[in-house]
Amino acid sequence: MKGRAETVKRKDSVFKEIWKNKAIYMIMLPGIAWFIIFAYGPMSGLQLAFKEYSTKLGIWGSPWCGMENFQYVFRDPSFLRSVGTTLWINAGRLLFQFPVPIILALLFNELRLKRYKKIVQTVLTFPQFLSWVIVASIVINILSYDGLVNSVIAAFGGETVNFMGSAGMFQPLLYITENWKSAGWGAIIYMAAISGIDVDQYEAADLDGASRLQKIFRITIPNILPTISVMFVLQMGNLMSGGFDQVFNLSNPAVKDVSEILDMYIYNISFGSTPDFGFSTAVSLFRSVVNCVFLVAADRGAKALGGSGLFA
Amino acid sequence: MKDIAGKKRKIDGVDIFVFTVLTIWLLIIIIPFVNAVAISFATQKEYVDNPLMLFPANPTFRSYEMLLNDYRIWTGFRTSFLIVLMGVPLNMLLTMVLAYGTSRGSYPGKKIIIGGILFTMLFNGGIIPLYLQMKEMGLTNHLWSVLLAGSVNVFYFVIMRSYFQSLPDSLIESARLDGAGEWRVLFHIILPLSKPIIATLTLFYLVDRWNEWYHALIFIRNSDLQPLQLVLRSIVMESSIVNNVTSAAAMETMQNFDMGVKMAAVIVTILPVMCVFPFLQKHFAQGVMVGAVKA
Repeated sequence: MKGRAETVKRKDSVFKEIWKNKAIYMIMLPGIAWFIIFAYGPMSGLQLAFKEYSTKLGIWGSPWCGMENFQYVFRDPSFLRSVGTTLWINAGRLLFQFPVPIILALLFNELRLKRYKKIVQTVLTFPQFLSWVIVASIVINILSYDGLVNSVIAAFGGETVNFMGSAGMFQPLLYITENWKSAGWGAIIYMAAISGIDVDQYEAADLDGASRLQKIFRITIPNILPTISVMFVLQMGNLMSGGFDQVFNLSNPAVKDVSEILDMYIYNISFGSTPDFGFSTAVSLFRSVVNCVFLVAADRGAKALGGSGLFA
Repeated sequence: MKDIAGKKRKIDGVDIFVFTVLTIWLLIIIIPFVNAVAISFATQKEYVDNPLMLFPANPTFRSYEMLLNDYRIWTGFRTSFLIVLMGVPLNMLLTMVLAYGTSRGSYPGKKIIIGGILFTMLFNGGIIPLYLQMKEMGLTNHLWSVLLAGSVNVFYFVIMRSYFQSLPDSLIESARLDGAGEWRVLFHIILPLSKPIIATLTLFYLVDRWNEWYHALIFIRNSDLQPLQLVLRSIVMESSIVNNVTSAAAMETMQNFDMGVKMAAVIVTILPVMCVFPFLQKHFAQGVMVGAVKA
């Protein structure tokens, strides 16, 4: 009896609290409504992965079909191929993209011409603010048959290269253009970490007669490891995404075999000629779950190794 | 560089290496832009004769004239301006109210609201359910689908929230004592104190909205509502597919000067971003956290 009375009382006070704070709920209402409709609404739409979608019946009215969609998905050779492509491209990204902003930040830090440093930094951050549509247009221009790069090659007597249309060129093209666009911007976070390093450490090293390289490897890099670790965790959360914007704008039918990452596959099956939304939602759900699992796993891993994770 | 103050050091191998690498990098970024500008002002003959071009000998506005005669570019400008003009205030309003509401005080459900917002960073429904929902709501082929699809950027929300949290409580307490309600506190106390973060996030949202193409690609089939980015894409892609799969011999027969119009389209699309960039750059300090998550 006593317990019940207490619950009632607590409930009462909760309502009282809500009423007292009604203004704050009202102020947040537009934002909360947006999240419920446009973030959680689509999440409830993920039920389609277990349904046979019919346009007439809608998301909620379509009949359930169990794991049937997934059975088709995992038997589809182009799905499996796109998973492989995604993993392969992302392994390359980890190797050829992830370290570049770190190296760039170290270079910036060692550049002693202050004004020049400012100019270089400004220019290198700019492309981040352009869309992949623009960057791809610029890239297609300089890499075309009579574009700048091929003209230089020809001027030196070399054979012109079909950069945009050859499968072997596609992956290097992704890594180079991504670094072209984003490395300067990505370096900012590491620069901030470097500027937070205690100057005393460098002074002590100077007294001990440490060389510049020694200071970079013994002081700067160890001090920015926590930042590197956070960035690594974030990168792992994208394991099943491969940069749709970039791939979509840089690829063309000639490189279809090497460019169909999972996101492209989802796009093609969803918005192609005969879409099966149950099927493509199943693929999409698979992608989101894998990303989520890897993000959390990488976070745990980074913490277990003594690094910093995302979630405190 | 972090040597003991006042001590000048001699130029060593590291300096030369760093300078060289960064200068090459700088050129690799700049040259494609210069090349694009040059081609947009060049004549077809000059482009064919001298493809290494970094500045045209006889600049001409022909490509720009041809571009501006293409009605699609006007459709693109109109749509993109509408998306920016309506989208950015919507972004800012929703982000601000959520950031304010979750930044202080304690009330039932606060943790659930914050958790609910942050969870969407970790996991989301993906594009297909969103598309079907937009379709069921009758929003596809309307600008509202694009405006509402990306209304809150959770990272920007986090940045704004932590800024609001850093403001002193005492100011708000005293305003409360004077009988100010939540709206008054937000608009008369918090916002005037938050100008730097508001400027930063407005600029970031602005650029994001200007660069919007993905949602439009999926939600909008109507050719009268294509944003500039998609117009640019269709102008550039028109013959580049041919460009990629045909032989060099076939290229000879193609109208080469398309390239001038394409680059003119690229330049007019970049220009607004270039105008905003200097202001944006001033706020990089606040943007550092954005940098962490956007990279």
